[in-house]
Amino acid sequence: MGMTLGSHLTPLARSQIEQADVVFAALSDNIVELWLQRMHPDVRSLQPYYAEGKSRMKTYRQWVELMMTEVRAGKNVCGVFYGHPGIFAWSPHKAIEVARAEGFKAHMEPGISAEDCLYADLGIDPGRFGCQHFEASQLLFYERRIDPTGYLVLWQVGLVGDLSLKRFSTGAAYRQVLVDVLSEDYPLDHEVIVYRGATLPIQKPRVRRMALRDLPGAELTAEETVVLPPSSPLKQNLAVRERLAALDKEAFIA
Amino acid sequence: MSDTIELLEAIGQNATLRHASADELASILEQANASAALRSAIAAGDSSLLSKEFGHKPNQAPQISNVPGHEEDESDDDGDDKPHHPSEPGHSQPHKHTPHKQ
Repeated sequence: MGMTLGSHLTPLARSQIEQADVVFAALSDNIVELWLQRMHPDVRSLQPYYAEGKSRMKTYRQWVELMMTEVRAGKNVCGVFYGHPGIFAWSPHKAIEVARAEGFKAHMEPGISAEDCLYADLGIDPGRFGCQHFEASQLLFYERRIDPTGYLVLWQVGLVGDLSLKRFSTGAAYRQVLVDVLSEDYPLDHEVIVYRGATLPIQKPRVRRMALRDLPGAELTAEETVVLPPSSPLKQNLAVRERLAALDKEAFIA
Repeated sequence: MSDTIELLEAIGQNATLRHASADELASILEQANASAALRSAIAAGDSSLLSKEFGHKPNQAPQISNVPGHEEDESDDDGDDKPHHPSEPGHSQPHKHTPHKQ
């Protein structure tokens, strides 16, 4: 569906919706769902399967089963997800995997993601200094290597550290753990950006800047993303550059 | 009164409208006979005011969590909410989950 109502739905995605027998939807706004309902007579919201205190893994498996039930009944099924259906989205990939394993045709159309909007709205070129992306919780649960000479984008910081998969937000204490981990690579006064893209065309993106140390105390929604710009300059790899220079010399002599 | 969803779609698809200021948009929407909820949402810069027209129905941000820490739990049953799996030959077991984003 892309991120913003009206702006990002691709012609091909709209065609998939219109040509489907049944449409399942997991979207950002109920208003976007209403918009989608105008494109097809049988749109089934996946929202009711979320519940506080219920493992999201259970919800996602239910989503897959809902879609597969219709696939097995011989229908042309379209799953519509906000942003890009394959980014921070388990069930679309799983549904395709299961469908193909059962001999059905299935594929994914790409969409404009929150990441795409982030680059545009914040003026960031991920190719300039490199860009790492992590779900914030994964950064806590696993030892990951951060390169502070590039951009670091942390997704779903609002529920960082939730092992239960049953909460939709964790609190300041959990974000403090994240800040403590990040402080191994970044100074606490390093400016971070808290970003939320526009999902309705009457919205502007929400962009807040604050020091890393202030992140735990900030009000943060589940949809917001934290960006850490580079905190150090790129460091030349002298040994590799010498090796490349030697290759260049050989090439010119040859 | 003009349909709000149609107006939102029109704003989303139109480069001028999408990036118009609140004042510019307010003027256009008044001419288009937009709903009071839409006009107040734009004037206030607060899309939550659309709830006056559509009700307050917050969506959970879909697909929260790339299941960190639960990759090894992907095949676990959840008891009474276990989805039905068909017993046809060739039905493959779910693969171990790996992170999507690298």
